[in-house]
Amino acid sequence: MGGVLILKSKISNLFIKIVLVIIGISFIFPLFWMLTMSFKSKSEVYDNPFGLPQKWIFTNYGEALKKFNFFTYFSNSLIYTIATIIITIILGSMFAYCVSRMRWKFKDLALSYTSLGLIVPVQVVIIPIFILQRQLGIRNTYWGLILPYAAFALSSCILMLYAFFRTLPKELEEAACMDGCNIYQCYFKIILPIVKPALATQCVLIFMNTWNEFFLSFILVGKDQLKTLSVGLLGFFVSIGVSDWGQIGAAMIISSIPTVIVYLISSEHIENALTAGSILK
Amino acid sequence: MKKFYSNKVAICIFTLPTLILFTLFVVYPILPEILISLHKNDGFKSSAFVGLSNYIEVLKSPVFWKSNNNTLIIVAISTLIGIPISLLMALLIDIQTKWIKRFFKATIVFPAVLSVTVIAQMWVAIYEPQWGLLNRFLKYLGFANITMAWLSNEKTVLICVAVAFVWQYLGLNALLFYTGIKTIPKTYYEAALIDGAGFFKCSIKITIPLLQEMTKYVLFVSILGSMSQFAHVKIMTSGGPGDASRSVIYQLYYTAFSMSDFGQGSAIAVLFIIECLMITVIINKFVAREKLEF
Repeated sequence: MGGVLILKSKISNLFIKIVLVIIGISFIFPLFWMLTMSFKSKSEVYDNPFGLPQKWIFTNYGEALKKFNFFTYFSNSLIYTIATIIITIILGSMFAYCVSRMRWKFKDLALSYTSLGLIVPVQVVIIPIFILQRQLGIRNTYWGLILPYAAFALSSCILMLYAFFRTLPKELEEAACMDGCNIYQCYFKIILPIVKPALATQCVLIFMNTWNEFFLSFILVGKDQLKTLSVGLLGFFVSIGVSDWGQIGAAMIISSIPTVIVYLISSEHIENALTAGSILK
Repeated sequence: MKKFYSNKVAICIFTLPTLILFTLFVVYPILPEILISLHKNDGFKSSAFVGLSNYIEVLKSPVFWKSNNNTLIIVAISTLIGIPISLLMALLIDIQTKWIKRFFKATIVFPAVLSVTVIAQMWVAIYEPQWGLLNRFLKYLGFANITMAWLSNEKTVLICVAVAFVWQYLGLNALLFYTGIKTIPKTYYEAALIDGAGFFKCSIKITIPLLQEMTKYVLFVSILGSMSQFAHVKIMTSGGPGDASRSVIYQLYYTAFSMSDFGQGSAIAVLFIIECLMITVIINKFVAREKLEF
């Protein structure tokens, strides 16, 4: 709708404007606070918690990087996330295409079956997944986390892509068929390039969910070498205790930088992705 | 063309990998879950069949009921306080000028894109008793007598954790509502504006009723999200002090992975599934179902 309604009174309008700006700032203030904290010494955090550092200290970052295996955790998170995105997008888009375009008996049933994933919260099946992981021999490997991640990401990916595939005109495949393409060529060479924008939105959505996932990675990953950034960061906080907030702040900033960069580059996409999910209901 | 669409081999290739992966990790686990909940299981081997005794143990334990209450309190805070605030923010953003809109849209989702570990730890700093933001702020306002160690007080800890959780997703929900508002056609407002209806009247009589689809979605996501709350509790308090801030999922994790009692853990999980299903049915029943076409 956008801008049809206006407040009649100028004063209340100004008031609301100010309140909104304050609220907006309050959403980023804590991060700014952590940033200033990361440049303070251990004792200055206590004496001067809010102001800018009186003495700028840069050693917190070096110390934090020494104790906190940032690069290991970071590359683990990257591997988990990218693998999950690739598997989910390839499998999910193929499935969604097949259900929305091809003719077979059980396609409606198959679609409702996969939408079960929206109702089953991942938390409730953690015990069987833990056991399954051991039975499949994928405990303490990258697959141990990638496969459950992909399985749980599939439902919403399939449903959103299904809605998208249905809007494509049938003539696309008819033309391809005339030209002698088989179904695989037609799918990979014609259909997939057309749905690229929808796939990009899905990538962003899966990225955000997987990169910040906590529960599964906390429970399913035993080895420190394979931990994700979120869980590794918690381990670092626990080992530091509550004594040195300068280092805690530094570790928080270091581990937020990748997400912030992704957010700044693709904030438009992220907005689309976050709201795209709402077509599911 | 027909042959093209009903190529059986292709159908198998396109669907089977998804069906196998999905069944293996999402649907199939419910079966062993129920089986485990009926057996004694220490995490390594399932021994004797014990019938419903795991369920009885769980239902008798006061800690389970405590964690269940805590979860319901978190759900109540996020639905009754969080969602109305998000809705109000969305309504107010909509009447602002372009640059405020852009600024707001950029900042409010920020907490939701950051890692939950970072956000939760940030709130630990806010509640810090000596130099934390909250206590300093209260002192500054002259309320020094109500400052306290928020996270180690049994009475306040749960609310504090819930606030951190609700805050993180406040902006995301507001953005969802805002997207919903943008899809309402202007024509709906014309008559009302001619009649001289103001912002508040239009919001209550037109915008909010037309937002019911989006409201239902936000309710659904936010209730299920707060039902399965785990990360904030784990990071901020580890369920403490004592068991004051345990959520159901934390209790599940604690029973299964700290006490190595997979039997009772699974029983909690099955009870939790039933609770989630009940809530889904209730939302579907009370929030209107018919789709609005504009």
